[in-house]
Amino acid sequence: MSRHLLGIRQLDREDIAELLQTAMEFKRRVLEADFVPQPLNRVVGLLFFEGSTRTRVSFEQAAHYLGYRVTNFAAQGSSMSKGETLKDTILTLRHERLDALVMRHRCSGAPTFAARYFGGPVVNAGDGQHEHPTQALGDALTILERKGRLEGLNVAIVGDVSHSRVARSNAWLLAKMGASVRLVGPKTLMPNNMSKLPGSVYYDLSAGIEDCDVVICLRLQRERMDEGLLSSVNEYRRQYQINRQTLRYAAPDCLVMHPGPINRGVEMDDPAADGDNSAITRQIENGIFVRMATLHWVFQSNAGQPAAGTVAPVKKAKEKVSTVQSKVKVAKKASAAASHAKTAKKKAK
Amino acid sequence: MKTVLKNGRILDPAQDLDMVGSLVVEDDQVIEFGAKVDARGADEVIDCTGLWIAPGLVDLHVHLREPGEEHRETIVSGTQSAAAGGYTTICCMPNTNPPLDSPSLIDFIMDRSASPEAGGVFVAPVGALTLGNRGDQLSDLAALKKAGIVAASDEEAPIQSALVMTRAMETCVQLDLPIMAHCEETSLSDGGCMNEGAMSAMLGLKGMPRTSEEIMVMRNCLISLHTGCQLHILRVSTWGAVEMIRQAKYLGAPVTCEICPHHFSLTEDAVGEFNPLFKTTPPLRTQVDIDILLQALSDGTIDCIASDHSPYANYEVQVPFEEAPFGMVGLESVVGVTLTNLTHRGILSPLETVRKLSTAPAQILRLEAGTIKPGDTPVAQVTVIDPELEWTFDVQKTFSKAKNSPFQGMKLKGKAVMTMCGSEIYRDARFDGRRLVSVG
Repeated sequence: MSRHLLGIRQLDREDIAELLQTAMEFKRRVLEADFVPQPLNRVVGLLFFEGSTRTRVSFEQAAHYLGYRVTNFAAQGSSMSKGETLKDTILTLRHERLDALVMRHRCSGAPTFAARYFGGPVVNAGDGQHEHPTQALGDALTILERKGRLEGLNVAIVGDVSHSRVARSNAWLLAKMGASVRLVGPKTLMPNNMSKLPGSVYYDLSAGIEDCDVVICLRLQRERMDEGLLSSVNEYRRQYQINRQTLRYAAPDCLVMHPGPINRGVEMDDPAADGDNSAITRQIENGIFVRMATLHWVFQSNAGQPAAGTVAPVKKAKEKVSTVQSKVKVAKKASAAASHAKTAKKKAK
Repeated sequence: MKTVLKNGRILDPAQDLDMVGSLVVEDDQVIEFGAKVDARGADEVIDCTGLWIAPGLVDLHVHLREPGEEHRETIVSGTQSAAAGGYTTICCMPNTNPPLDSPSLIDFIMDRSASPEAGGVFVAPVGALTLGNRGDQLSDLAALKKAGIVAASDEEAPIQSALVMTRAMETCVQLDLPIMAHCEETSLSDGGCMNEGAMSAMLGLKGMPRTSEEIMVMRNCLISLHTGCQLHILRVSTWGAVEMIRQAKYLGAPVTCEICPHHFSLTEDAVGEFNPLFKTTPPLRTQVDIDILLQALSDGTIDCIASDHSPYANYEVQVPFEEAPFGMVGLESVVGVTLTNLTHRGILSPLETVRKLSTAPAQILRLEAGTIKPGDTPVAQVTVIDPELEWTFDVQKTFSKAKNSPFQGMKLKGKAVMTMCGSEIYRDARFDGRRLVSVG
């Protein structure tokens, strides 16, 4: 049985903690240039049936750091455009002796489908409106670095929750790690039955982000207007935009995140996206390390033992985490103090 | 040839008959039944102790796929599957390629289903209500009726225009032709692939809201009420649809409806991790729906059970959930699932079970079937059911060309073990040879 990463929903708390710890360790070693990728005879197929820049590059970077070879597969110009079924494509890649697949597809559940036929590990790089697990892991690593913990945080996910795989993966991950998740957005963009999803629903932005430690802002697709789910961009902006005004309802040091690409001026304005509390560029960077951890993790179980040379023993990783966390705590106190000072100045004015 | 079915439980809802007795089929007719029959000169005497002797089962909703989609099913394989499921009369739906919108196609269906290779069951065709099932221009319904259709339907392409449906019902009142309607307001359900609810939200799949079905049930019931056209509602799945139908019946609309075994047995949770075998329309709903559907089955609001046998080739089903077709095969699992989930759980008595599977559907479309009364059917139509037979459904062993069943591997209790339509057309391999009392 291969290990897959098809969604955060299927993971337990220990899996998530392990992935995040491994990512932290990889990050430290890459940043300290204490990382010598050893060429391994592993080939990872990147199957992107839907456009992507950052996720694909991020997986390529992750594979390169780990010493894996990468082969790209584009749906256009392939046998898929000649009418081959997805099942046959997957079987073909299996017999081309690819060791793992990283897959993005417009259909929810397509990686789950591929995993039935591929044989080796399958990693979901975003499937329809279902999940985007490595995005959520990168976001969690970012929050962990900036806040020092996940447990007990108030996190608001704001925007088109209904159509967002990022929202689902983040909600699962944060809830499983003990954060309190709020889903904020207009009723037409919210699933109308939340009984199998974590999080509590808010239609009002100010109530939804009140005292939040983290706000994850989602991208608003223009198609939603054509589908009649929203009257206009302006209507949305006025009610749900994350900007300096609306962020006053959140905690003073509230971390602002966005999975990208941003519609500047729609779901988020410039000061919010580029301010001190924005972690958007950090999210991108951390994406690489969680994807390294993911590829390592799926292979680790598959081979039965850790890949030689690339892995730190878990024990060591744990020590590192505590160091990172203590560092982060100090940083957090400092930044909190700074923002309090700012508020005080404002009040004085 | 004289066959005696001895000492069975004779169940004939058409005569309100539930008695232990024997039944004699000579040549191709039922000639006698009762507590005591004349078994002299019988070629075969079969001991039916503990078995039900029922009128041949009737399925109002079958897709035989021929002409045009023979890779999924053919008239030959589909009728064989029907015989093995205990059916002696089935109605085939018009959404073939081309759709059944001209008399010559009806002739073709009649000829093929009567061919010696076919399963030996009666096939009553349902004609396309509009040309090409396109939902705008009515087919030549008078000519189709003359050719032998028993009802008209646009099935999977439900007529969206209320005006076209009104004209269709006005036309069909005049022709005394029932309309069968799949009820779906497609502006609400387009792009959807499962019930809109907790599971669709979790899986990130576009849902098909219950209002899509209920609005159309209500609209069609109202047009039926005001035109007087006989309306049969295909495959109800929500509690709201049931309540609309209950109300329409109360108001005197000539409305009937059917339910499929998957809709009273499975919920949206069965979709699990995107399993395309559980994709159907209307979609599998929730336990709340099932509770009310079961109530409606036992109080008679739901008139009959139909399979909605919808065969697909493996390669069509082995695709990501969103791209999979809607539908599942059913002819050979209906009896087992119905007895397991309704009869053995006390929802339906044995007599009512047979009514839902045979007499009621026959009466809805005025088919010469659904009773064992001599002379009421052109030939003897009898199905022997072993209500206690425990078996595991294996779709690989079915006669249908298609294997897309949601009941694969399910343990069932109750099975049709012998089907007679004129002569014997099916006998189950599990049928106990010791039951043969004498062979002439």
